[in-house]
Amino acid sequence: MAATMVSSAGALLAMLNESHPQLKQHALYNLNKFVDQFWPEISTSVPLIESLYEDEEFDRHQRQLAALVVSKVFCYLGDLNDSLSYALGAGSLFDVSEDSDYVHSLLAKAIDEYASLKAKATESNAEAANVDPRLEAIVERMLDKCIMDGKHQQAMGIAIECRRLDKLEEAITRSDNVHGTLSYCINVSHAFVSRREYRCEVLHLLVNVYQKLPYPDYLSICQCLMFLDEPEGVASILEKLLRSENKDDVLLAFQIAFDLVENEHQAFLLNVRDRLSVPKSQSSEMVQPKSSDPDPAQNNSSTASEDVQMTEGTSASIAIVQETDPNDAIYAERLTKIKGILSGETSIQLTLQFLYSHNKSDLLILKTIKQSVEMRNSVCHSATIYANAIMHAGTTVDTFLRDNLDWLSRATNWAKFSATAGLGVIHRGHLQQGRSLMRPYLPQGGSGGGGSPYSEGGALYALGLIHANHGKGIKQFLRDSLRSTNVEVIQHGACLGLGLAALGTADEDIYDDIKSALYTDSAVAGEAAGISMGLLMVGSASEKASEMLTYAHETQHEKIIRGLALGIALTVYGREEEADTLIEQMTRDQDPILRYGGMYALALAYRGTANNKAIRQLLHFAVSDVSDDVRRTAVLALGFVLYSEPEQTPRIVSLLSESYNPHVRYGAALAVGISCAGTGLSEAISLLEPLTSDVVDFVRQGALIAMAMVMVQMNEAGDSRVGTFRRQLEKIILDKHEDTMSKMGAILASGILDAGGRNVTIRLLSKTKHDKVTAVVGLAVFSQFWYWYPLIYFISLSFSPTAFIGLNYDLKVPKFEFLSNAKPSLFEYPKPTTVPTTTSAVKLPTAVLSTSAKAKARAKKEAEQKANAEKAAGAESSSAATNTGKEKSSSEKDADSVQVDSQPEKKAGPEPSFEILTNPARVVPAQEKFIKFMEDSRYAPVKFVPSGFVLLRDLQPTEPEVLSLTDAPSSTVSPAGGSATGQQGSASAMAVDEEPQPPQPFEYTS
Amino acid sequence: MDPKLAEVSQLFERFKAACAREDVDTCCNVLSKLKVLLTGFSSLPPLFEDTPNAIHELTLARDIYEHAVLLSVKIGDQDAFERDFFQLKPYYTDASSRLPPSSQEYMILGLNLLRLLVQNRIAEFHTELELLSSTALENPCIKHAVELEQSFMEGAYNRVLSAKQTVPCKTYDYFMDLLAKTVRDEIAGCSEKAYGYLSVSDARQMLLFSSDNELLQYIKEEQPEWEIKTGQVIFQKAKESASCKEIPSLQLINQTLSYARELERIV
Repeated sequence: MAATMVSSAGALLAMLNESHPQLKQHALYNLNKFVDQFWPEISTSVPLIESLYEDEEFDRHQRQLAALVVSKVFCYLGDLNDSLSYALGAGSLFDVSEDSDYVHSLLAKAIDEYASLKAKATESNAEAANVDPRLEAIVERMLDKCIMDGKHQQAMGIAIECRRLDKLEEAITRSDNVHGTLSYCINVSHAFVSRREYRCEVLHLLVNVYQKLPYPDYLSICQCLMFLDEPEGVASILEKLLRSENKDDVLLAFQIAFDLVENEHQAFLLNVRDRLSVPKSQSSEMVQPKSSDPDPAQNNSSTASEDVQMTEGTSASIAIVQETDPNDAIYAERLTKIKGILSGETSIQLTLQFLYSHNKSDLLILKTIKQSVEMRNSVCHSATIYANAIMHAGTTVDTFLRDNLDWLSRATNWAKFSATAGLGVIHRGHLQQGRSLMRPYLPQGGSGGGGSPYSEGGALYALGLIHANHGKGIKQFLRDSLRSTNVEVIQHGACLGLGLAALGTADEDIYDDIKSALYTDSAVAGEAAGISMGLLMVGSASEKASEMLTYAHETQHEKIIRGLALGIALTVYGREEEADTLIEQMTRDQDPILRYGGMYALALAYRGTANNKAIRQLLHFAVSDVSDDVRRTAVLALGFVLYSEPEQTPRIVSLLSESYNPHVRYGAALAVGISCAGTGLSEAISLLEPLTSDVVDFVRQGALIAMAMVMVQMNEAGDSRVGTFRRQLEKIILDKHEDTMSKMGAILASGILDAGGRNVTIRLLSKTKHDKVTAVVGLAVFSQFWYWYPLIYFISLSFSPTAFIGLNYDLKVPKFEFLSNAKPSLFEYPKPTTVPTTTSAVKLPTAVLSTSAKAKARAKKEAEQKANAEKAAGAESSSAATNTGKEKSSSEKDADSVQVDSQPEKKAGPEPSFEILTNPARVVPAQEKFIKFMEDSRYAPVKFVPSGFVLLRDLQPTEPEVLSLTDAPSSTVSPAGGSATGQQGSASAMAVDEEPQPPQPFEYTS
Repeated sequence: MDPKLAEVSQLFERFKAACAREDVDTCCNVLSKLKVLLTGFSSLPPLFEDTPNAIHELTLARDIYEHAVLLSVKIGDQDAFERDFFQLKPYYTDASSRLPPSSQEYMILGLNLLRLLVQNRIAEFHTELELLSSTALENPCIKHAVELEQSFMEGAYNRVLSAKQTVPCKTYDYFMDLLAKTVRDEIAGCSEKAYGYLSVSDARQMLLFSSDNELLQYIKEEQPEWEIKTGQVIFQKAKESASCKEIPSLQLINQTLSYARELERIV
């Protein structure tokens, strides 16, 4: 007989009303069993069961049972708060391990509740807040269960969320794959822990755990330590690795150093470098030059500083080798190398070589632009100069300028300033030669010679750009220049230059110098001084900000206020909650310019955090502020907050991009441009496309620039819209009737699209997902070009080369091959433009005479017959035939010949599905996932990353190494020669000998 | 026979004997003990486990609860009636496939219907009715209750009162008496709504009282808010219908305007 089922809980509920306690208990017990089925019926009697729970006379166990039943009913009713409080009353009867919907949803609720209580407790700083111990017990039971079951990721997530660092540690140490969980935990802490303070605590813990491991992952530790800003820790790790017997450890140390450098945290790197101890056995005379070596090396511009250090190191070791053990000598040598890396010189030099040797910029594009813009239109004229600078950023190729000196000389006043400054962008990173390159334009020591102040100011700015973030050698010179002049244009240039060179160093002396420039209260100099102060104090959150704010209130000049506003914003870079008071102060200010600065402060303080609060605030300002400037900036700032999650941005700003207000649309365009820069994200492009043909000229400008930022380094094979966009740019530039604003946008966009010789992308995050300070700051200041065109050059700070550069123990580039598992055409350079593009633009249908048609047909037939006669194999014969036929027909039309010719070439043979790249190689971001290292290769990377600087372990150390990146720009030095150069340093040789001469100083006709 | 079962049957015999003696106190005590003992059987609802003695146990338990229901009627305890009836019900509904039908089933169901009618719980009355099969509806006990309800709803209160003479079973008397009172309450409620005042004699007729004294007694006990003045019963319109709530128009207008403003500002 089938089991009989009850159809109603009525009987049990009625039994609850019985007076005998045993009956009640029986009823409760059974109700608990059937509650899943009959909760709707029971829900009407909940008050009754509640009263049972509260009945003091009742047996404890029974009261808990009553609580459990009530809790279940509430849970089904969707009232989780009540449900939770009764579940707590149920005590041990609430079984965490039970696998039911009720338990799952209540656990989630309990953990949420606990987490929010904990968070509130820490925020209000109340020690051991009144968290219900029963709740805590439940959460702990849950955590223990997760750990027991091996669900470590869950346990970690809960522990982090609930601020239970003790449990977090337990979860990590008890997991099977400690390294895996640790790296997972780091990711989680960056992505989901929104409070900076707490994130620091978590990272501290992680570092501790890391260090307890038998084989610590030093790469990750150092990344954590960098976030925590603890140079001592990094220094001690590096030192330990450097002193190791094992060469691999040393390679690892170098790799760590390169990874740290990638984050561009200048002050931190300097700190680490200074803390690396000198070999203890070295005598005092050795210490002397060591400590002072950086300066002479830097100032001595004709010699590579690295080489100086290197020779010093080796000579020292040779000198000492007799009396001390060889270990120290080796250590000393390694130390010089790592110091070279940490100071950024090694990477800058290698990057420079890479960009020079791989430069693929298309001069024809520039030529077209130059020819099509009107001479008298100075905006477009200087836009062309900007575009040139951006296109050749960091490549040291200034042929275009030298070829067009005459044309260049039309730049007057500020245009001349930016033309000169453009040289700085082109020679960016050319640390040794920078000064000598710019010498013709620099102010001539006090004599105040013939040079125009505009070119002198520009030259100082250029020096700053060259030495951006690595300005140790040039700071003094810039300071002197700033002090010795009272021409505001030169002050302007010097301030900007100084700010760039001393980025983030928070140097008090420099600050005072700049402050005195600010207090002259000249609009031009003051603006630059304001920005410069910010650059100097990036992320320091110093009290200087309030000083700057006071002055901003005092001064009359809008330019100065704006400069200061941006400067203040820069000081709170990355400080998140710490910056809230300042942000509040700025966003409530009466002056729209300061509110505008407040938007930047929000953007920079919460850069790349995708913090909900910040986004909400920005969106609020974007729709509610009365000033268009503030609204524009608020939208734009969204781009900075969201750059760590570029997929989000198009969605968030899509509504704003349809706003009636052109300023908001402009902001939306740039926000997408900033956050999706270099990603080629399809949604971003779709959002920007309509904006490029907006009715308002400056919106078009912004959209074009943003589009170029998104599409940088993409080619048509990746997204067909790139080609469309290039044609659109060309059309706008050639169109006589186009507005100047959008024309300028188009010119700049063509520059950005092919930035850095088509070998750089705009990247705001390093490979370890940390923010790149310089890049973010660069873009933030760049977005100011709305008010001041010369600031366009700041975009060069955000360029990072898309290169894989493998290095061996000597920090040289050995010959090394690896695979890219994708069709080469996907990632190749865009094809250079061809000459006749302009002439073939309009192609009329040619009338075809019957005779010629016949002749053509005959020709075709003949060709086919010939082909048949030749009997080429199968399918190929026919294709060849059509090809020849086409060629014949095409030869009739001259103009088309080039294009048609390229088609059959393409058709020939299927494209290989992979490509072998040779170190150093261009690896664009989209290509990174296809990179494979070959197993039988001689070298093995220390860290498996597809781009950037990678140290290679030599598996056959006995054989002679073949170096591939020849230092040399000129083709005269063969690879073999490069290998021969060996120790005696490649880089410096290049810098001295084969560098093309700087352009002749051109005369300005002002 | 299972010792537990034997114990229960023995106790049940004592219970029945006490009932026959009309010894209410003993009855209640023994019943309580019985109920506790019954919880020990797993074959009973809600578990319905298939034990060897299941049928026997179920039958016994049903008997016990049936007696309990009847006892509660006897002592006029409506709460106990409800409790016991609900506990009895699963034996009729869920266990019907396993047990031979009880002779008292329809009588008790009819009693329950009456009870609902008396307590003026018409909705539940109909719910119960829907659950009954068509054969059950033919049963005189049930039919009686249904007819009563119809008369009650029509307002044919005299028919309700006269139905007392045609009860199918003696136990129904208790509820029929109560029903008369329910009817009176209904009438009182209606006249309160319908009239401002009534003369005492009219009111007496209306409320089916045989003498003015009874009326006065009733008013004093049940309807304290009524007033008697100069031979008139004045119904206080205590529950004055709340005046039509004024629409907060000004506030609404303001709100709408502010929405419009905000909308304009956004995008």
